[in-house]
Amino acid sequence: MRSTAKLWRMISLLSGIATVLLICGFFYAVKDISNPSSAAGISVSPGADSGSEQPAPSASDEIGIVAIGDSLAKGTGDDEGEGFAGRTVELLKQENPGREVKLYGNLGINGLLTTGLLDELKENGVQHMLKEANVILLSIGGNDLFQGAEALEEGGDLPTAAELNKAIDEASVRLAAVIPAIKKLNPEAALIYVGLYNPFSDIEQMRAIGNTGVTRWNTAAQTAVNKYSGALMIPTYDLFAGNLERFLSSDHFHPNGDGYEQIAQRIVQSLKQ
Amino acid sequence: MTDLMPLIRNETIKMVRKKRFYVILLVLLVLVPMFTYAQMKVTERNREKFGTDWRRSVQQAITDNQNSLGSSRLPEEWKKYRQIYIQQMKYYLDHDVNPQEPGGVTFTREFMDNASSLFIPLLIMGLASDIVSSERTTGTIKMLLTKPVRRWKVLFSKLVTLMMFVSLTVMAAFVMCYAISGLVFGYQGFDMPVFTGFQLNGSDVDLSAVHAVPQWLYLFLQLGLIWFVSAVVAMLAFMISVLVRSTAASIVIMMAALIAGSILTNMASAWQSAKYLFMVNLELTDYLSGTPAPIEGMTLGFSLAVLAVWGLASLVVSFLVFTKQDILN
Amino acid sequence: MEQQTVISSAAQIRSGQPVLEVRSLRKRIGRKWIIEDVSFTVYGGEIFGFLGPNGAGKTTTIRMLVNLIKPTAGSIQIGGYDVRSSPEKALGQIGAIVENPEVYAYLTGWENLEQFGRMLKGVDEARIKEVTELVRLDKRIHDKVRTYSLGMRQRLGIAQALLGRPKLLILDEPTNGLDPKGIKEMRDFIRRLAEQGMAVFVSSHLLSEIQLLCDRVAIISSGKVLAEGRVDELIQNRSNYVVWDVEPRARALEILSNNQITVLKQPETVLDDSVMAGIPEGAIVCQMEGSAMAGYTALFAEEGLRIQSVYKINPTLEQLFLEMTGGESID
Repeated sequence: MRSTAKLWRMISLLSGIATVLLICGFFYAVKDISNPSSAAGISVSPGADSGSEQPAPSASDEIGIVAIGDSLAKGTGDDEGEGFAGRTVELLKQENPGREVKLYGNLGINGLLTTGLLDELKENGVQHMLKEANVILLSIGGNDLFQGAEALEEGGDLPTAAELNKAIDEASVRLAAVIPAIKKLNPEAALIYVGLYNPFSDIEQMRAIGNTGVTRWNTAAQTAVNKYSGALMIPTYDLFAGNLERFLSSDHFHPNGDGYEQIAQRIVQSLKQ
Repeated sequence: MTDLMPLIRNETIKMVRKKRFYVILLVLLVLVPMFTYAQMKVTERNREKFGTDWRRSVQQAITDNQNSLGSSRLPEEWKKYRQIYIQQMKYYLDHDVNPQEPGGVTFTREFMDNASSLFIPLLIMGLASDIVSSERTTGTIKMLLTKPVRRWKVLFSKLVTLMMFVSLTVMAAFVMCYAISGLVFGYQGFDMPVFTGFQLNGSDVDLSAVHAVPQWLYLFLQLGLIWFVSAVVAMLAFMISVLVRSTAASIVIMMAALIAGSILTNMASAWQSAKYLFMVNLELTDYLSGTPAPIEGMTLGFSLAVLAVWGLASLVVSFLVFTKQDILN
Repeated sequence: MEQQTVISSAAQIRSGQPVLEVRSLRKRIGRKWIIEDVSFTVYGGEIFGFLGPNGAGKTTTIRMLVNLIKPTAGSIQIGGYDVRSSPEKALGQIGAIVENPEVYAYLTGWENLEQFGRMLKGVDEARIKEVTELVRLDKRIHDKVRTYSLGMRQRLGIAQALLGRPKLLILDEPTNGLDPKGIKEMRDFIRRLAEQGMAVFVSSHLLSEIQLLCDRVAIISSGKVLAEGRVDELIQNRSNYVVWDVEPRARALEILSNNQITVLKQPETVLDDSVMAGIPEGAIVCQMEGSAMAGYTALFAEEGLRIQSVYKINPTLEQLFLEMTGGESID
């Protein structure tokens, strides 16, 4: 009898307080959501905790890799989903058993053009990731050159030599801006640009045009990369020429797993120097 | 009011002695550690992948979503979700605020967010479903209604008691979640900033009104919204309990409605008029976090109105039926 | 002793004042008339029996008395208040057990009484204690009801009904499920309550119980009250039977028919089996006032007949019922 009195007092008190609190919360929430601009917010000072949290990758023995760019950077076409970025990490781990090798992130976006990449580089998160990396793997330009690739798949027209040349001229200017932008963010890191190959070398009408275009592009890229120390380009043109059957995936544009493995091996070799 | 208090006291004692509330606490005590453990595993894996730097994982999430946007197989509505998500994540990055700052408070916030549309309503249903029907199954309703007390007062005291326990349940979910997850993630994070005020405009997010609130305030608002949802679910279950004689049947009816709601929420965007169902309006906390509503044209005001109409209608039905009804068994 | 004080307010009602008045009560459920015409009056201080077979409408009537069911037509007045228009005042004057005494099994007996006490006016801890002692539950009152026997639950039900010092106690089949000792205790208990001025309304399908317990009775069948009145008056107004075991039988029949006395040719159609079993082989059963027995005994003796035994059969309610309903059986 006494116990039920105590129980009642406790429950009624607790639930009363809880109800009042929750109702206040409810009305506050309705007010805040329906009229957010008038709601008072606390100020967030970005500098305050980013400084304390900023990890210093160079201090540790870690190799941090970030891949950025188009579908090749992302690894499209690789059945295992690794791409050259993932495969590079694997190879580096095998070669450096003592060291921590990590893929900090893969920022490759399917279909990305040089214009898109320039926008990406302005993003806070992208900048942050690039700043942290020791090795930056870049692949870009393929979509600028072969924008018609998908149209081709669907039976569209092939790009003419004139169209291709125009695209190369415009895109290489932008590439020349991409390299310093990345270098400016992270002068320490090794920047590896993965050169283009001609995926259409087995198509009669495209072989000559494609080869010329890709060569022109790669030359322009080499020029852009050469201006900076710690930046280099690895060629893939020779890898794929004549080996399209072996190294291209079923979409006839992206490399398959073996193709990516080949690229990764070259990257690892170039890093040894 | 003076003659209602003893009745409410009666109902409260019955509720406690029936051990319904203990069952709820027990369910929380079993399930929350499970969720905590799962979250701990996720955190561990993320740490392995992205290190301790949350910006990497957020940026990776953005990139992943950007990639899936390109897929032509992705339905339009999902694209909208992802575009909004990307914009919000970028906002967090721009302001250097970790949306998933590890800690008991963050875990609790996310847990409550996910629990608001199904888990907590299910708990509430467990309380409400037998509040009237059990008196009928055991026959004690005869004892109750042959006393010199008007029927509406009897029912009203049950309703008040139910609302008291709704509040206690929401609070208990919060407290237990915080206490248990804090063991693993630590008890910090109450003053961490969280952004709210994302105004959605199709697939575009209007960031002009976005402001940061400390996480404790966010939780306070979130719990208030969950309380409202719970109260409406309680009223509906209350009505079912009045209408249906068997407790089992009333639980099945409510459960079917709630689960149908969570299924509909995932696929209803094509069926516009589904937005008038109460079940698809349970995720009020989405309006706080800026997650798009399942159906075009749903706003906080709309959802509140729909829920209020359902809740009030079920109260009207409950009182009409209960005061007029012949007690035959 | 304590009973005197317990029912103090009930004692204030003067015996003979109507406590419950039921007028032309009718109830239709769906298309079926469950109660077609029920009227009766219960006075203070009396034990009123409500007798009828299962399904006759007893429980439905009781549910209307306590406001669980709304009557289709007719009125119920309790202590002068109409149950429909002022339920709080009307229900405040009754204590009831409808069908089984259903209480909360997960509470203790005491907590149950506290629950019901809070719904009544002027019930404090002392009153709960008083009632508990009255029904002799004081030893187990703090145990969970789950552990109670049926008899104990029945007593708890009565305690609950008595809590609010009612003027009218309504008991639906109060001896159901009790053992013989329990039945006797219950009867004594009810009588004590009535002696102190409380009106007790008892329903039963057991005729013997009503006969043993009640002052007045209403007999209900198929939703209609067939008769209402004092139990002894109802019996007196009915035919009486006398059994003659006489030798020679033929001469006795002759004398009886000469005096226009009806002799039952097939007494088993009218009399109860238990009564039939006590009648000797070849005995004559005739309709005759008990007061006429002495005259005929003398007459037979004069005629040189040998009377082996002669006795009166007190008609039971079973018989009344059989006569009134034309053979519809009761249980």
